[in-house]
Amino acid sequence: MVSRAGTLRATGRYLLLSAILVIMIFPLVWMFRVSLMEPGSISGGSRFVEAAFTVSNFADLFTSGQLLRPLINSVIVGVMVTLGNILFCFMVAYSLARYQFIINKGLFATVIAVLMIPAHITIIPLYVLCVKAGIYDSYWALILPWLVNPIGIFLVKQYIESLPPAVEEAARIDGASELRIVFQIVMPLCKPALAVLAIQVFFTNWNSFLFPYILTLSDSLRTLPVALALYQGHQAVDWQHLMAGSTIAVLPVLVLFLFLQRQIVSGITAGAVKQ
Amino acid sequence: MSGRKKTALLLASPWIVTLLLFWTVPLVYSFIIGFTDYQLLKGARWVGFSNYVELFSDEVFLASIKNTFIFVFGTIPITTVVALGLALLVNGQFKGRAVFRAGFFLPSITSMVVIALIFTSLYERGGYIALLARMAGLSPPEHGFLYNAGTALYSIMAMDVWMSVGYYMLIFLAGLKAIPDELYEAAEVAGASAVRQFFSITLPLLRPVALFIIVINSIKSFQVFVEIFVMTHGKFDTSTMVYFIYDAGLRTDFRLGYASAAAYVLFVIIALFSILQFYLMRRRRPLW
Repeated sequence: MVSRAGTLRATGRYLLLSAILVIMIFPLVWMFRVSLMEPGSISGGSRFVEAAFTVSNFADLFTSGQLLRPLINSVIVGVMVTLGNILFCFMVAYSLARYQFIINKGLFATVIAVLMIPAHITIIPLYVLCVKAGIYDSYWALILPWLVNPIGIFLVKQYIESLPPAVEEAARIDGASELRIVFQIVMPLCKPALAVLAIQVFFTNWNSFLFPYILTLSDSLRTLPVALALYQGHQAVDWQHLMAGSTIAVLPVLVLFLFLQRQIVSGITAGAVKQ
Repeated sequence: MSGRKKTALLLASPWIVTLLLFWTVPLVYSFIIGFTDYQLLKGARWVGFSNYVELFSDEVFLASIKNTFIFVFGTIPITTVVALGLALLVNGQFKGRAVFRAGFFLPSITSMVVIALIFTSLYERGGYIALLARMAGLSPPEHGFLYNAGTALYSIMAMDVWMSVGYYMLIFLAGLKAIPDELYEAAEVAGASAVRQFFSITLPLLRPVALFIIVINSIKSFQVFVEIFVMTHGKFDTSTMVYFIYDAGLRTDFRLGYASAAAYVLFVIIALFSILQFYLMRRRRPLW
């Protein structure tokens, strides 16, 4: 009797989980399905099953060049910002973790403070700053302000503090210079934390909309999310092409997610349980 | 200065530069221009508190505050409870749990622009959600959910809950994993029911995690913007505070001073809520 009730409960759980899974996945499946429909066709109702398949929307986007430039921009900006964060968050985190000067303690307080500041309240002054500094509507505006971030510093600092300082002391006794110790000995040891950081930064940057939107004007500088949002505004909604572009925007994230799930999850839960 | 001190400063310099250039200067600058009538391509004149006075008689701004509060207080309790429910459902060992976890989590790492575009279509007059509503015997709004002041904001909120529950589910899962099994074993021996175990062990021990989730979610939700921009452009009574700042400062009249004052009102609101939440987090006696 007990095992039968158990089986029933397990079946119930699977049914419930599957129903939720359908709700969570359907909108993304819908995006992919519409991206494969004939341009201009109606997408609702039973069309989901019946409509003919075509890859012409993807072909159109690439041949018209509407998508290629934003895609390249997103990759350039994403890679630069990610590399910057790997280097700079590590440098700052090392300084804060290993040097106990008063100024460093003050700096760590500023990291925590900025972590709590809602970034969106700076859109106006950052816009003015970029205009006055002459970097408005250039790659610099998309890259420079984001090269180091407080969450990244926090994450890497915690990791460095968990490493035994004995390795560094031994190298110091051997006469290695400070910078050599930092970059050639400690940095390679931080690879797991830096991988988590890199994924987080890349995802955030790849999906980012507000700042790339307000800090650029030219079509040639739009990133993928900005181009998609504006494409919707300009045309009488052309869902097939829009969903094809969306699919391309989602694909890299999806692929990275499938391969790097563990790092992604540990990045999200790192700060939470410590509290 | 000693060599070690120099190295420490050198290594910290990227943060020092970013802190000064991209945080301190903008925050101080926007605080100052909040007291001027600075408008792009026109000069700035000192106007004292008149921006703030105008804000609180500006109906669009007041509606934006109202909508932001509806958004924050409408979504956060639901998101938190659903995320906890999902975490409990996928917790433990069973076949296929990795698939369910990944599936639930997937929307939250997708671009908000893409999600908002997808739902713009799903919420349309002939879209799937209207279809579902009709199947449930309800009558969906004539022009679609987003073209109706009574449903637009709530539709966006529902999407936001859908999108973010998987993310907070993961944090709850980490919290569940940190609860020692011995507690449940002892409760089992003492004959406590599953429901009793949940209310006496699981819920109290998840309290810090739940508060952490509420804090980060409210800082995020007070700044809601992208979904409003993509789905309604602030029309149909959906303008929020960040949308108002964008609209007043960078879209219609480029009133940078006025928009900066609005940004500081938002800053103060978020700061007050963060302080309140930290106070609750530190309390010895829990609220539940």
